[in-house]
Amino acid sequence: MDFYGSDERGLIKLDPRTKFFIFLASGIMTFRSYSDVGTALYSVLLCIIFALCGKPIQALKASLLLGLVLFFRVVLQNSQGAPEVIVLLITALTTVFMFGFPTVMSLLLIVKTTRISQFLSAFQAMHFPVKVIIPIAVFFRFLPTVTDEWNGVRKAMAFRGISLRPVQIILNPWKTIEYILIPMLFSSMAVMEELASATMARGMDVDIKRTSYEQVKFGITDLVMVILLIGAIIFTTILGNSVKGGTVL
Amino acid sequence: MIRFEDASFHYGGENGTGEGVDHINLTICDGEVVVLCGASGCGKTTITRMINGLAPKYYKGMMEGAVWVNDICVTESELSETSRLVGSVFQNPKSQFFNIDTTGELAFGCENQGVPGEMIGERLKKTETEMRLGPLMGRNIFELSGGEKQQIACGSVYTTDPMVYVLDEPSSNLDRKAIQRLHDILMKIKKEGKTIVISEHRLYYLMDLADRFIYLEDGIIQKSYSNKEIAELTDRDLAEKGLRLTDLSELKREYDKNEKLLREPILEAVDLNCAKGGNQILDIARLILPKNSVTAIIGDNGSGKSTLSEALCGIGSCDGSIAYDGVYLSAKERAERSFMVMQDVNRQLFSDSVIEEVMMNTSVTREKAEQILEKLGLKEVIDRHPASLSGGQKQRVAIASALSAGKEIIFYDEPTSGLDRGGMERFGNLLKDMGEEITSVIITHDPELILRCCTHILHIENGRIQAFYPLNEDGVTRIRSYFTSENDENTSKTRKKYGVMGRVLKYTGKWKKYVFAALVFMIAGALCGIVPYLGIYDLLCKIVGGGTVTLENSMVDIGIVLGFGILNAVFYTIGLQFSHRAAYHTLENIRISLQEKLDNQPIGTIHDLGIGSIKKLFNDDIESVEVMLAHVIPEGLSDILVGGAVFLALIAVDWQMGLFSIIILLFGIGASRQMYEVGMDRMGSYFASAKRLNNTIIEYVSGMEVVRIFNRDAGSEERFEKSVYDYRDFGLAWYKVCWPWMALYGGLFANIILYSLPLGAFLVLMGHLTMTRYILALCLSFALSPVLISALALIGTLPRVDYKIQSVEKALDRPLLKCGNEPFDVHEHSIEFENVRFAYKGDEALKGISFKAKEGEMTALIGASGSGKSTIARLIAHYYDHDSGVIRIGGHDIRQISLSDLEKEVAYVSQELFLFNKSILENIRIGRQDASDEEVKAAAIKAGCDEFIRELDGGYDTIVGTAGNKLSGGQKQRIAFARVLLKDAPIIVLDEVTAFIDPENEKKMNDAIQEIIRDKTVIVIAHKLSSIAKADKIIVLDKGSIVGTGKHKDLMKHCEMYRTLWNAATESRNWTLRRQQYK
Repeated sequence: MDFYGSDERGLIKLDPRTKFFIFLASGIMTFRSYSDVGTALYSVLLCIIFALCGKPIQALKASLLLGLVLFFRVVLQNSQGAPEVIVLLITALTTVFMFGFPTVMSLLLIVKTTRISQFLSAFQAMHFPVKVIIPIAVFFRFLPTVTDEWNGVRKAMAFRGISLRPVQIILNPWKTIEYILIPMLFSSMAVMEELASATMARGMDVDIKRTSYEQVKFGITDLVMVILLIGAIIFTTILGNSVKGGTVL
Repeated sequence: MIRFEDASFHYGGENGTGEGVDHINLTICDGEVVVLCGASGCGKTTITRMINGLAPKYYKGMMEGAVWVNDICVTESELSETSRLVGSVFQNPKSQFFNIDTTGELAFGCENQGVPGEMIGERLKKTETEMRLGPLMGRNIFELSGGEKQQIACGSVYTTDPMVYVLDEPSSNLDRKAIQRLHDILMKIKKEGKTIVISEHRLYYLMDLADRFIYLEDGIIQKSYSNKEIAELTDRDLAEKGLRLTDLSELKREYDKNEKLLREPILEAVDLNCAKGGNQILDIARLILPKNSVTAIIGDNGSGKSTLSEALCGIGSCDGSIAYDGVYLSAKERAERSFMVMQDVNRQLFSDSVIEEVMMNTSVTREKAEQILEKLGLKEVIDRHPASLSGGQKQRVAIASALSAGKEIIFYDEPTSGLDRGGMERFGNLLKDMGEEITSVIITHDPELILRCCTHILHIENGRIQAFYPLNEDGVTRIRSYFTSENDENTSKTRKKYGVMGRVLKYTGKWKKYVFAALVFMIAGALCGIVPYLGIYDLLCKIVGGGTVTLENSMVDIGIVLGFGILNAVFYTIGLQFSHRAAYHTLENIRISLQEKLDNQPIGTIHDLGIGSIKKLFNDDIESVEVMLAHVIPEGLSDILVGGAVFLALIAVDWQMGLFSIIILLFGIGASRQMYEVGMDRMGSYFASAKRLNNTIIEYVSGMEVVRIFNRDAGSEERFEKSVYDYRDFGLAWYKVCWPWMALYGGLFANIILYSLPLGAFLVLMGHLTMTRYILALCLSFALSPVLISALALIGTLPRVDYKIQSVEKALDRPLLKCGNEPFDVHEHSIEFENVRFAYKGDEALKGISFKAKEGEMTALIGASGSGKSTIARLIAHYYDHDSGVIRIGGHDIRQISLSDLEKEVAYVSQELFLFNKSILENIRIGRQDASDEEVKAAAIKAGCDEFIRELDGGYDTIVGTAGNKLSGGQKQRIAFARVLLKDAPIIVLDEVTAFIDPENEKKMNDAIQEIIRDKTVIVIAHKLSSIAKADKIIVLDKGSIVGTGKHKDLMKHCEMYRTLWNAATESRNWTLRRQQYK
């Protein structure tokens, strides 16, 4: 997984705050919407946003997956004569998928299209407390670090005859976890400590006034997006439920 | 100004390296460059931390006294305050970036200081140009190599423009060019009046930069040296203090004369290829590492050293075959027999104690493990937790674990970066001792380590082997010149990512829309191909439904079947038309772009590739793109899409049957993957045998002449036979493991109907499925099989096509000739070589050549074969780029002159003569296109070829056969010489032009040469010494070095080599005469 966030190729550039709002909206949507159609439409909307922000291929993959799962669900619900148990099981699985899809998508949207500097700049402009922003920024930084460490550890394991095949993992779960965790922890700890000192020596601190090279502006697209999302939330939470569209399909 | 006022600091808890420092009193003035040096743990880093305030503000501990920067007490003030004054670069490149993208990182410091946005932009621009970071802007930091990261770290400090720069071992991961750049940038910063404090082990690059060297020992300042004083310290003094060399030209190596440098191979790699995201990282035709050698891999940052070693030891993905001890192994098997000591050794320590770590997953006894640990000096720490050890000890624990597991080859990734002299020497000696039983490969930028322990050098540039040579006497001079030559270019490249399809589509240009049009038509065609089955379904339904089937009521269905069948053919044809049109136009584009690339390649590269492979490239390999564009993309994609659609329809009709078909399909895919996996293991030896067969055939055919004239060489026939058999056996072995799987997935895919038929029948009987739906599902299954099979066939060709396209792209993806566009104003036409070194491949052909050939003089180059005479001529004609030194033509660096300017300046007659298949007149006219027939003939007369040309049947209009078959060697030489006379360039280089010419004509030619040299610079290479005895300057070459320069008389007196050559030449002449007399 590549955690390098960039919206350079995007047709639209969203403010990081908008993306966080999308994340929030996704949370509300999944908990408040009981309609398949609503959730599906919202998920498609997310895929479109993702594509517009410069990740068309990943967006396409995600929407294909979504389409496939939805297709299965619809076919199964309308099929006759199938064993109840299997229908129930598969319906449950697809429900979980659809429940999680918007949240995961909007998280991906944040991680994969936002640079740390954009993120910092946007939230400082809102006078968010730095104490809140920095940990989130560090989280951004931490994801690729862990991936990087993991790649290294995996290679090291190959030399030591530590197998990562499912059989081995099931036979020796604790041993495997130990082999993964020990080097990862020690290595990540060293990196994180040095990283913190370097960051502080470069002048990052809680009570400083930062500027930013990349001016992140809340533009028309952001406004449209937010209005769209608010509309969607209102629709699903108030109207959607009153219509009782739970079984439209 | 920096002031330490009796400052002491001791770390509390487990923090950092070393114990701390005591009673430091030190004043560093503005604009001063101070180097902190000393063994590891002497407190260098602590002092830098006290200046940038990290001690005691971040690293807690006991702090006494105070440190002042200007009028701010950094000991007291906040870190954010200190960071405005002091900019820091840290040792470990991977842990000093807050951002993930490089541009953001460069701006980060400024942002923290509250510099307005526009100003940051300006500063970024400045940093980018001054530090030449262009290719590194806007990149993912995790993609960069260690050295590239370090450059970004320096750049980000430069952007904040602080008063004081504090650098903690900034050079530890840098290649020699990057060190040169670092040196230059520090020089620049120094000139701007900034203060620089550097803690560093490598001293040589700081010698002309630093004002003071402060030597620390156990946390106390022992002595302060001026740069002159430290330069005067002898190697022994430095060694005692644990300091590294101050002058690289003093690099020495103690020889063991008996050292065997040619040993049997342990590792052999053939056709190594590695591409990431469409960028060629590795392209190695053949690599052999000798057994029990210590090989150093050198090369610039990002040139593919790590990728190569990861591929060799089986943890990196890579195409090609790699053998250990003569047996081709899969990646997994290689990983079992090799080991890599990574730069970040923390990642490879898994256990709670050292002894457990060493014994883990091995069969060694505890005694044996203890023995190994004792040998590595780890006896005392046997029960400690590996994480509590020092960096060097951790490294040795990793080595111990490799030894106890009985590994044959150990790779090391920059093992001595950040080690002091003692550590480096200990490590070097360890490798040397292990050299008897184990093969080591070291990626390193450390010349001192190389000379201490290595036996071979592998030089990688741009993912290709630049050279592989043993570290004998010549090797030592060569490696020394590699590290000392001045070169600061930045070879970092911005890498773009493309998939296979993206790479091909890139070349389609304006024909791209044709590809899409083809795709649309093919999808339409494939869909039409399915509709007839629906018609059949309708018909069957009528029958099953019990209704009567008459011609009238089945007309519509029959019409559908026929109509859509025709539509299918029509759409498909239109699609193919589009796709082929796009494909052939793309081939044209690719050939044109290849030709453009070819034009800017060094002639040498083209020679290396050989006519055969260039022809193959332009014809065969590019043709494979046609398959890709005309078939794989449109047909494969449409088949997959339509196949998917049919599957969905099948599921919609009856999910149970659909699911069942999917399961069958998955089994099929599983079988094909299994085949791929088992096949890959044997693929290596199969490919290698194919390559061997190729080579043997070439050898056999080209040696045919010799074999026929002399005896029938039984050996060569045997070899031929053996490689044919080998190829058969390996091929069969490969097929043997693949066969069952091939049959399995072929059967599964082709006959999905076979499995769904009984299941459907069962479902119908059970009443879960209606008859009509059953029939529909069956019809769909029928429709599915052809689509699946054709998709499968095309997907199968994808890797092969990808491989071909890669080979097209990589073939000419080599460094271009270095030539500038500097206006070339001609004043004089001398040629000057200054310490020029050059190697084709393997051994150096020129080893530091310096001479000057003046205008109006004839300079002769003589020497035995292989002494480098022709190489000099080729370098003057800029066929190759020289490795180091300077070549000047008319006072301009040859690398700054454009090729067309140089072409006007130099006329070069090489030993390999080529005549085009045109008339002789036109062949001579190549010298100067606008010459009239009379001028051409005049030149021919001067060159002494008029006579024989007139004797030919067609005279000047005789057509020469492609390689000039009709002419003798001497005649061809004279024609080539006529070209030069016609061209009338100010510099003339003649390489053995009289070699095939009879004495009479030779005299004529020599006269012609004498005539033209009057106002020209002439360089003559000759074996016949008599012809050059009159030269103004004779340069005697021996094995790539100049052994004598001067006129004939001086050389006879002073130059032993020349005398020998001369005597040999005259003796042989006399010998011929005497023979004639006796007759």
